[in-house]
Amino acid sequence: MSSAPALQAREVSMVFGGLRALNNVSLELAKGQIVGLIGPNGAGKTTFFNCLTGLYTPTSGQVLLGGTQLPGDPAEVTTAGLARTFQNIRLFPSMTVLENVLIGRHVRMKQGPLSSLLHGPAFQRGERAARERARELLDFVGLSRVEDELSRNLPYGDQRRLEIARALATDPSVLLLDEPTAGMNPQETEAARQLIFRIRDTGISVVVIEHDTKFIFTLCDRVTVLVQGELLVEGTPEEVRGDPRVVEAYLGKPPEEVQAVVEEITHGSAEGASGE
Amino acid sequence: MSEVSTAGRTGLFRPLSTAGAVATVLGALLPWATFVFNEGPYPAKATLQFFDAPFALSGFRLHLMLFGLAALVVGFTRLPGRGRVLRALGWGVLAVSAVNTVFLISNGGGFGAVSASDGAFAFGCYVGLAGGALLVADNWHASAEPLPRWKFSLPLWAAWLVLLVSFGAVLLLVAATLTAGGLGGAADPYAGPVFLSFLGAAGGLLGGLHGTGLLSWIGELSEKHRLFSVLVLLLCALGLPLTSAGNEYWMTVAANIGVYAATAIGLNIVVGLAGLLDLGYVAFMGIGAFVAANLSGAAASALGIHVPFLLAAVIAAVIAGIFGVIVGSPTLRVRGDYLAIVTLAFGEIFRRAAQNNIGGLTGGANAIPNIPQVELFGLEFNNPVTIGGLQLPGGVLYYFLIVLLVALTMVAFGNLKNSRIGRAWIAIREDEDVARAMGIRTGKAKILAFLTGATLAGLAGAVFAHKTATVSYESFQFLESVTLLAAVILGGMGTIPGAVLGAALLFVLPEKLREFSDYRLLLFGLALVLIMRFRPQGLVPDRHRRAELVAEDVELPAAPKEATA
Repeated sequence: MSSAPALQAREVSMVFGGLRALNNVSLELAKGQIVGLIGPNGAGKTTFFNCLTGLYTPTSGQVLLGGTQLPGDPAEVTTAGLARTFQNIRLFPSMTVLENVLIGRHVRMKQGPLSSLLHGPAFQRGERAARERARELLDFVGLSRVEDELSRNLPYGDQRRLEIARALATDPSVLLLDEPTAGMNPQETEAARQLIFRIRDTGISVVVIEHDTKFIFTLCDRVTVLVQGELLVEGTPEEVRGDPRVVEAYLGKPPEEVQAVVEEITHGSAEGASGE
Repeated sequence: MSEVSTAGRTGLFRPLSTAGAVATVLGALLPWATFVFNEGPYPAKATLQFFDAPFALSGFRLHLMLFGLAALVVGFTRLPGRGRVLRALGWGVLAVSAVNTVFLISNGGGFGAVSASDGAFAFGCYVGLAGGALLVADNWHASAEPLPRWKFSLPLWAAWLVLLVSFGAVLLLVAATLTAGGLGGAADPYAGPVFLSFLGAAGGLLGGLHGTGLLSWIGELSEKHRLFSVLVLLLCALGLPLTSAGNEYWMTVAANIGVYAATAIGLNIVVGLAGLLDLGYVAFMGIGAFVAANLSGAAASALGIHVPFLLAAVIAAVIAGIFGVIVGSPTLRVRGDYLAIVTLAFGEIFRRAAQNNIGGLTGGANAIPNIPQVELFGLEFNNPVTIGGLQLPGGVLYYFLIVLLVALTMVAFGNLKNSRIGRAWIAIREDEDVARAMGIRTGKAKILAFLTGATLAGLAGAVFAHKTATVSYESFQFLESVTLLAAVILGGMGTIPGAVLGAALLFVLPEKLREFSDYRLLLFGLALVLIMRFRPQGLVPDRHRRAELVAEDVELPAAPKEATA
């Protein structure tokens, strides 16, 4: 295939009034890769996602999907093949599970107003195909049994999975997941990890924002650390985990006696600590 | 499931309910007033037999008697959903008794009319009220019982038969409701109470049937045989002239209801599906009406040309649609309250423009009178017609035309709702930002909603112009927009039967309750407040909203209510 990365952000900056939320952040995602985006609260991770998906128009910088520049409108971005989930789950609460996924299918369906009004044979075919695909995706994330349930009635973990199914329904080439395991117990987190691997195996590249560093380091091919809107470190999980600046960014510069404990928590290696 | 329904209230004998049922029967048998109604201003119209025949059962007393007996029988059975049935019957009894009591007291000279005086005792109303109250109170928590679900399936012919009978019954009920109490107004001062009393009884009956699970079952059945149901329903609607409502007066009333029902369905797209609050919606109907009036060849019209009705209707719809796009465009910029204000302003601009005869197109205060009747296929629409041996009253052709119009809007609404476009509208209503993030062009979709709604309203307006023969700006006031909105909300947002039922109620009630015309808005407001408080999802809720309700119903028994009792 072409050598262009699946997703490339070039020196994206975002300024709100006097606040510089993002400062020249770059990110590159190869095809079939999982990239993690970590950083303390307020580091600008979600802002970065919003810039990628067109919810915000970056003050400067470029976003390229598969080598072509993305338009600055969320609907167009989704059509181009970049899908996302939200940090605080945002399903359509009064729609059923299946209908939520069908909304994701919207961009891939062709029916115009007249066809929708008349319900002709072509309409019926399109509708059937969309439902079939939506059911496949529900099966993929393990929600087939509840397709007629209202999405608001689903348990928390299932709502997260439904959001992923809805995003997948747009046939994305790149999927952005904003804290997919927030509030989950260890079993659910493990299931989420397996789900993300399976998504990757279908050929979709994934960017994950997460606070759970253990989850990120065991999931991702590469990890990017954002601190106060700036890119701090980028590299493989091993490189990032061993970087003292990352520990410092999360916890501040620790006194000697605490440092040992911190290393244990972050699984830091002895070399990483002695490098300071 | 079944253990829930029987838990707590297993006893076959329910003393309070039984007492309520007995009181209801007694109330029906007791005299209700201490005076003879035949001495009233309209002796011939003394349909309420209160005193002159104390033990004769007719009219509302027959209803009460039947309700009482039904409650008595149901109270001693293990009918699933028994509490729901009893509660609905109780509400029916309460409504009928209350309406007649209030009428007797206000029209019969105070409390003396309903108590012992001059050696005549009359407390039928108190006994009836007590009976209803007992039934309701004893079954207050009946919503905790699951709604019984009928599971058995029928062979095709039996299913069709059930549907035929059910829709036939609906037709008779509609005809009876329309004609209940007669013409109203000066012709019959008792029309209002008789009508309200009938409404209470019909509501109680339907509630009771719903409580047994019958209505849900028929609903599912009709869903399963959708095409057949739609055809039968259409036939039933066309059959209304053959019932007791088959005279010119009721045909006119029914046609007016139909016009507003079609408009309300259009509004339901904008408000119910896309969630865009439109407070000037009636202006689109007005635009359609004025366009049709100007193309009708009426003497007062500015253009003075006569275009065939069907073409004129299409032009009216298209022009209204264009205005829909114009008004819809600001929706790209404003949301929520601000949108409501923009549409409100548009409605006012339209009314003021029409009032001042801008462009000479509206006739101003003189209106556009003498719009000729519709002529199609050589038929003059005002005249009575004879089909085979059947004599049908005048206005029946307009009624048929409007039934077709309503059917058309229903199909449009239903098809759009269950499509890619309809889902996009609902998504915008639920969360506009996420809808955009899911790839929906929200701007386009919103304008399309306005366009569709306005087109349907314009079409209804064109029929309205010919039907009423006079088009005046006064027909398109802010109040009409509010009433249409109320019809949509009252009936149930996002549903077809809801909009039709809401429109029917809001446009029949003023017709029926002319003696209360001074208090009309007050009563409307009161009814709306009560409905918003006790049934916020509307009379015929959306499938989704119903699903929420079912979920709540299931949760209720688990609530710690039992623990505190």
